[in-house]
Amino acid sequence: LNAAPGRAPRQRVRFLPAPAPGGGGAVELVAARVPVLADHPLVRGPRFRKLKIGAGHRLDVKASGVFVLGIGHGNKLLTHLHNCHLTKVYTVGGLFGKATDDFSDTGNLVEKTTFDHITREKLERILAVIQGTNQKALLMYSNIDMKTQEAYELAVKGLIRPMGKSPPIITAVRCLQFALPEFQLEIHCLHETQQYLRKMVHEIGLELKSSAVCTQVRRIRDGVFTLDDALPRTQWNLQSIQEAIRNCQLKVETELEKTL
Amino acid sequence: RGLGVAAGPPSIRQLREAEEAAPVFQYAGKAARRKDRVFVWGFSYSGALGVPSFVRPDAGWKKPRRIQPTPYRLETEEKISSAACGYGFTLLASNTRDITKVWGMGLNKDSQLGFQRSRRDQTKGYEYVLEPSPIPLPLEKPQQTRVLQVSCGRAHSLVLTDSEGVFTMGNNSYGQCGRKVVEDEIYSGSHLIHQLKEFDSRVVQVVCGQDHSLFRTKKGTVYACGWGADGQTGLGHYNITSVPTKLHGDIAGVNIIQVSSYGDCCLAVSDEGDVFGWGNSEYLQLASVTETTQVNVPRHLPFKIGKIKEAACGGSGNVVLTEEGNVFVWGYGILGKGPNLIETAVPEMIPPSLFGWSDFSPDIRVAHVRCGLSQFAALTNRGELFVWGKNLRGCLGTGRMEDQYFPWRVTVPGEVVDVACGVDHMVSMVRSF
Repeated sequence: LNAAPGRAPRQRVRFLPAPAPGGGGAVELVAARVPVLADHPLVRGPRFRKLKIGAGHRLDVKASGVFVLGIGHGNKLLTHLHNCHLTKVYTVGGLFGKATDDFSDTGNLVEKTTFDHITREKLERILAVIQGTNQKALLMYSNIDMKTQEAYELAVKGLIRPMGKSPPIITAVRCLQFALPEFQLEIHCLHETQQYLRKMVHEIGLELKSSAVCTQVRRIRDGVFTLDDALPRTQWNLQSIQEAIRNCQLKVETELEKTL
Repeated sequence: RGLGVAAGPPSIRQLREAEEAAPVFQYAGKAARRKDRVFVWGFSYSGALGVPSFVRPDAGWKKPRRIQPTPYRLETEEKISSAACGYGFTLLASNTRDITKVWGMGLNKDSQLGFQRSRRDQTKGYEYVLEPSPIPLPLEKPQQTRVLQVSCGRAHSLVLTDSEGVFTMGNNSYGQCGRKVVEDEIYSGSHLIHQLKEFDSRVVQVVCGQDHSLFRTKKGTVYACGWGADGQTGLGHYNITSVPTKLHGDIAGVNIIQVSSYGDCCLAVSDEGDVFGWGNSEYLQLASVTETTQVNVPRHLPFKIGKIKEAACGGSGNVVLTEEGNVFVWGYGILGKGPNLIETAVPEMIPPSLFGWSDFSPDIRVAHVRCGLSQFAALTNRGELFVWGKNLRGCLGTGRMEDQYFPWRVTVPGEVVDVACGVDHMVSMVRSF
């Protein structure tokens, strides 16, 4: 960033002495535009010494996926986006048959169980119940009076969301793949932590009268930012970052206007 | 030998070997069956919930529970296949061939639960039954007949069997039990259970209104008896009928596949998807065809909402379910479309997004609709129960005491198979996961 050509130095009109065109010795003041010395790069120093970078929603050490960062003015936009309370989407991979103490496959083993009685239908039934109870929590924590016509209209459109602090709420779950003992779920959630998702996988295992551990948590969407907008490790350079910021500006503006 | 092993954190290989050597537990095998359970909620002091410790606590630390606001599991001896809620009492029936097929609990002041012999005084009967108690039916072949369905009204109940007709018990001051009205009859502690056999074909559905009874036969005809001052017997007059008589009017010759009633209005659905109504219309239930407030002959209701699959009648509001799975409500009261819709004569659809339908799960449909006196219940094909309406003494089961103006999920630990709605309590039959 510092190597890029900076601003041109300011110009100032100074009256400099110059030898008069007449005879020797007489000095005339001639107006000339000269660059201000205070703007010289050696005086000013490098343009950027520190960059203010802020992080969006947290991501675990064991999880992967979209991680939103803000630079400079973007930090303010990050705060606004946080107040929008948009849903995040994760792909969670699980494995039946084991239970560990930290609910992931790298923890200490607690118990091993059989799992051949589990079918996709049973799993989908449990997911439907999870969605149902979380739907109720969604309506309850949104702090809207249920007796108003406004609450009814928002509920019909599905726009009721908690706009303040709330415990983790799951708005939608879907089973993407099911091949015993592995399975993969797509979870849409609000105000969650990755450990909560791992605990949910463990609880799904318990409900199905077996046990499960979480093998993978990957965030594929954070509010308006999807996997397509995210930069992989090979593209962590200035040009890609600048291009990515430019591409997302419009999306972020529309979303903020819509919600706030 | 173990003394020579080095101490320290276990290596990866040791961990893996320990994991493979760990025992495997089995909690459910391949032949694990889903269990059938009964959940109850609502007002408990009448005994209608069947949990005696709510009314008379049996341990010092327990307090009497007037209202059970969330579903509570009721232990039953047999699998319950049919349940019905009356005005302060409940009947549970099982499809078994054992001698005890029907259990009742709640109010018994008019012997609507049969004669329950009191243990303190062998000649008198209980007026309040706090626990599901067997009802002795006078069957000819008790080990072969099966009970198909039960239904309860304000102070009478009907039991439908597969080969021995219909048994009626309870209050008969308006002839709703299908037998001649006896003046000054004392119904409390009565042993009398009447049997009705003469219909044109086998009875396949029995429905109790507040003080009248409806019978639907296999041929698609409807019979009625009981109080008729609002025209709810549909027989063309406003008098009492004490013998089940066939209905005519717009349903003559039509094959009716379902009848419903709970208050003083009745609805019938034909096999072609048309709906017919008669009875009380003070709350605009039949205002689409007539201005009068009582209709005593079945009239066809010309609604253009699609082919109707199921209908349910409440005290002041009605609900129908169409073939596409849409729910339509009309009448008066809390209809389920927010606090602004209080009354309508024309059916209004409840948006399917309120029942869990969304782009994410587009195959959710409402499978059944049921009505209590001022509440509605809907069951989806995923086994979820939605309720809305007036929350009288906690009967909605949402855990809150406020009225519910749009469909709200009831959290039940299992897949809800059927639900019966009463005045201030509800009973549901649930299959565990």
